[in-house]
Amino acid sequence: MNHAIAIAGAMIGFGLALGGGAIGAAVGDGLVGNAAIQGISRQPEAQGRLTAFMFIIVGLVEAMYFINLALGFLLVTSFAAGVH
Amino acid sequence: MTYLEAQPGTHPLTPICGDQYLNLLVIKFYYCAFTLDTLVSSAVAIAVTLALAFFIASRLQPGVPSKLQMVLEALLSYVRGTVRDTVAADATFVIPIAATIGMYILVANWIDFFPLGFSPLLHPANSDINQTLAMAVVVFLIVQGYSIRVLGLRGYLRRFTKPFELNMFMRAGYVVFNIIEELVKPVSLSLRLFGNIFAGFLMVYLLGLLFQVGGIWLPLSLGGLVVWKAFDVFFIGALQAFIFMLLTIVYFQQAREGLEEELHGAHAPPSDRSPSVGAAQLSQHQ
Repeated sequence: MNHAIAIAGAMIGFGLALGGGAIGAAVGDGLVGNAAIQGISRQPEAQGRLTAFMFIIVGLVEAMYFINLALGFLLVTSFAAGVH
Repeated sequence: MTYLEAQPGTHPLTPICGDQYLNLLVIKFYYCAFTLDTLVSSAVAIAVTLALAFFIASRLQPGVPSKLQMVLEALLSYVRGTVRDTVAADATFVIPIAATIGMYILVANWIDFFPLGFSPLLHPANSDINQTLAMAVVVFLIVQGYSIRVLGLRGYLRRFTKPFELNMFMRAGYVVFNIIEELVKPVSLSLRLFGNIFAGFLMVYLLGLLFQVGGIWLPLSLGGLVVWKAFDVFFIGALQAFIFMLLTIVYFQQAREGLEEELHGAHAPPSDRSPSVGAAQLSQHQ
C-alpha cells in the first residue's frame, strides 16, 4: 500500500516537474531563437557567430530540463520504489 | 533486453571498507563504495583520449597537418585565444586544464555511439553524477585557489561583497547570495553534463522498450536508435563538452573580479574582444 502511494505520488511529481521544465525550456528556446533571428536580420554578416552563440545558449537553457528529467527519473526509481 | 541488462541509474558498487550502509528509513546512504561501472567506463574513455592525443603527437607534421591534428589544433588555439582574451594573458595554466577537460568529455561522450550494452560494466562515463561532480569539484577548487593567488586573501574575501559600487551596509547583505552563487557553480556544472548524458542514455533504454516485441529488435527500433544516438551523441555530446570547457574558463575569469577596480579605482569596461563566441558575454547570460 505504501509502495503504491509512494509510486503514485512520485509519478505525479515527476510529471509536474517534467511539464514545468518543458514549458521553461520551450520559452527559453523561443527567446533565444527570437533574439538570434533579430540579430541576424539586423546584421546578416554576423550569422556564423550568432548561430554558434545561439546553440551554446540553447544548450545552457535546455540543460535545466534535462537535469529535471534525469534527477526525476533517479528519484522515482531509486527512492520512491524503495518504499515498502 | 539485449541492449541494457540493468535499469539506467543503477550501478554495481564495489565496497572498499565494508559493505555497510546507513539506512535512514527510505534513503540508503552507501559509503566507502565506488561505482564500478563508472570507474571502468571512465578508464576506457581516458585510455582512448590518451591514445588519441599521443597518436596525434607522435606524427606531427608542421607543413601539411593531418585532419585529426587540425581538429586538435583548432580546439587548442580556440582555448588559448579565449583564455587570453577573457581571463588574462599570463593565465596560461588554464589552457591545459580547459583543453583537457573539453577533449576528455568530448571523447567520453562520443564513445557512447558504439553499443556499449554488451557489458554491464560499460555505459556512458558521464551518465554517473559521481564522475561529473568529481570534475566540477576539481575545477571549483582550482578556481578558488587561483582567486586567492591573484587577489590575495583580502581581495578574495572582498569579492564576496560583490556589487562594489554599493555602500558597506548593502554589500554586507550580499555576502550570503555571493556564497550561494559560488557554491552553486560546481553543482550546476556537474548536473548539466550529467543530466544531458543521462537523459540520452534513458532515451536509448526507452526506445529499446518501446518497439520490442518478444525480445526481437524491430528495424524501426534500430533505425530510431541510430537516429537518436547520432543526434544525442554527436550534437548534444559535443555541445555539452564545449559548454563545460567554456564555463571552466568563465569561472576563472570570474575569479579575477575586483582586480581591475582595486588597481585602477574605476570600472573596467566589459571586454567584448573575444574571438568567435565570447565567453565574456556568455558569463552575463548564465
